[in-house]
Amino acid sequence: MIARAARQLALVLALALIPAVVSGAWQLAWKKAEPLAAGEVRLATAREWGARVQWVDARSRAKFERTRIPGALLLNEDEWDKLVGPFLDAWDADKTLVVYCDGGSCEASHQVAARLRKDLMIGGVLVLKGGFAEWQGL
Amino acid sequence: MAGLVIAGLRLAVAGVFLYAGTLKIWDFTHLRSATPDFTIAIQNFRLLPSPDLALLLAVYLPWLEVTAASALFIRRLALGAATALLGLSAVFLGAVGSAWWRGLDIACGCFGKENAPTDFRFLLLRNTALLAAVAVLFLHEWRRPSPTPPHS
Repeated sequence: MIARAARQLALVLALALIPAVVSGAWQLAWKKAEPLAAGEVRLATAREWGARVQWVDARSRAKFERTRIPGALLLNEDEWDKLVGPFLDAWDADKTLVVYCDGGSCEASHQVAARLRKDLMIGGVLVLKGGFAEWQGL
Repeated sequence: MAGLVIAGLRLAVAGVFLYAGTLKIWDFTHLRSATPDFTIAIQNFRLLPSPDLALLLAVYLPWLEVTAASALFIRRLALGAATALLGLSAVFLGAVGSAWWRGLDIACGCFGKENAPTDFRFLLLRNTALLAAVAVLFLHEWRRPSPTPPHS
């Protein structure tokens, strides 16, 4: 009975692998071709800009404290009033702001970028395509 | 009567895993792949040593859910499917319990991207019920005679 269970389990695991591999390959191809939305920048471009970029972390404080892009400043919607002062003090206005959140379909980076543009009248604020997940190479 | 209960359980368990797996594969709200969101959900549990592993699991696990749920209806694969779903249910329950124990404030990601904060007690109850249902199916398949008679 154990042998039958193991044989069938192996077959189910292998069957699931087929669509997973196809889906993974398709997603890799799509990721490269996916167009940028207005106000977004690709990681490769932001990396080329090097020290001229100021990373802005729009995720929660807990996530920021655990891991972040080196040199990033924390600025999120939940603690906006508390964080915006220190953020403005620390930001060198010659640097382009690139905001990121988790990645996937997270909206926090777009919300913080919109607020930077609207409330603080800062022009040229960009959002990192793919977010922190992209930075991690996912 | 027992046959009816097993048929109902099979339908319910398959439905839950098909639904959960599909929502982890495709984001119907944004009409895009749900893999990035599921990768992040897995990472948030802080159980894996590397983000790459989270990505691999995010690609594979939903398809395993869908495949195993479908295979529950194929006599020659039902025991293997129930075994896979039993393992998945146990892993999910363990992950949720561990997150609750460590006081993590994270979304479950069980049914695709979820923005609402997780009610861990409800989640533990739900996952325990699911594990129990899958265990009943597994035991049923385990005791069921093999579909092919042994060669004489």
